[in-house]
Amino acid sequence: MQTANPLPADFAAALGRVPLGRLTGPVVYYAEIGSTNDVAATLAAEGNREGSIVIADLQTAGRGRRGHRWFSPQGAGLYVSVVLAPRLATERPDRATALLTLTAGVAIAEGVQDATGLAPTIKWPNDVLVGRRKLAGILAEGVHGHASAAVHSVVLGFGLNVLSAAYPTDLADRVTSLESELGRSVDRAHVCAATLSALATRYDDLLAARYDAILDAWRARAPRARHARVHWDTPGGPQAGTTVGIDDDGALLVKTGRGVERIVSGEVRWE
Amino acid sequence: MDLDHLKQILDLVREHELSEFEVEQGGLRLKIRKDRGGAYAPVTMAPAPGAHAAPSHAVAPTPVAIPPVPDDEIELAVLKSPIVGTFYRCAEPGAPPFVDVGTVVKKGQVLCIVEAMKLMNEIDSEYDGEIVKVYVENGQPVQYGERLFAIRAK
Repeated sequence: MQTANPLPADFAAALGRVPLGRLTGPVVYYAEIGSTNDVAATLAAEGNREGSIVIADLQTAGRGRRGHRWFSPQGAGLYVSVVLAPRLATERPDRATALLTLTAGVAIAEGVQDATGLAPTIKWPNDVLVGRRKLAGILAEGVHGHASAAVHSVVLGFGLNVLSAAYPTDLADRVTSLESELGRSVDRAHVCAATLSALATRYDDLLAARYDAILDAWRARAPRARHARVHWDTPGGPQAGTTVGIDDDGALLVKTGRGVERIVSGEVRWE
Repeated sequence: MDLDHLKQILDLVREHELSEFEVEQGGLRLKIRKDRGGAYAPVTMAPAPGAHAAPSHAVAPTPVAIPPVPDDEIELAVLKSPIVGTFYRCAEPGAPPFVDVGTVVKKGQVLCIVEAMKLMNEIDSEYDGEIVKVYVENGQPVQYGERLFAIRAK
């Protein structure tokens, strides 16, 4: 693994000022790295690395899901990954695993709100938006020890646009940043600490099986999880329907002409 | 319908060697069909027309029997999906598949990804061996317990 750099003083100070719950593993910082998720996955593979944090100032190979690139120019966003272990939940660890990405979406929205006053919304399951533009994205990658075992640990990465330089200009109609929304400069270290602290709090909820608290917070931030037209693809062809909420495992419920469909994976497009 | 109920039904279907079975209860339709090879095909569950609630449980494991290979040491293992989700054979669109029929794999090697709730689950091989069958196409939904790969263990 590439040698880490010292954590910048402003980040160290900001992280020192907030409670971080179980996220008290080492903070590994890179001025430049391929992908924070890859570093965190390497750590996770060593075992007993729950709570480790990886932060980069620049990613040369920032990733989203399914080959999507996450544009990660120097100092323009937050590029952070943490190692989590939802299997440690006190009840129904399978439910904790299913709800992990929703939990992360809630936490990042809450951290942003705490640090800046902006009130982001969430698009199922975990995109963090302001208006209809994406502010932050999450990439969660789990490893099964073997096929029949529960997820051993999860690397949860997020990218949060702080400056408008964090994304290509041709995405400006679909993507936004903290500074574009607020019209002022933002202290990245402060936002980083606030989001990690919020994540630690919600992760505590998850491990203590306080699933209703997480689901309530998620629903309050996801207006379009109800009464919105959505489209998705199935092996039998394209489908469309109207959202009617999420169930207790976080699955999106969509009313169609044939009944209510329960969606747990794949791509759903909102009109 | 809870998981225990579903298991009871599956046991009955197996016990009586039914080739096809369908039941509708509480707005939920369950259909079980035996495929030509004698194994039970993946269970499909869909809300019946007019139902107001979606099934709140994942479907039950498909009771696939591993065909015994007689009189030598060759062992065929069927790797099944640990979760309901979307099956991906490659890391990203356009990339080569993690494995194909004929690929020799090591225990712990990544065979595929199953995505659920936007969590990308890498599924590793439990065995050293050779992939002899890939049951699911890239990008298809898979049920809990659905067959993904057959591996001839070495």
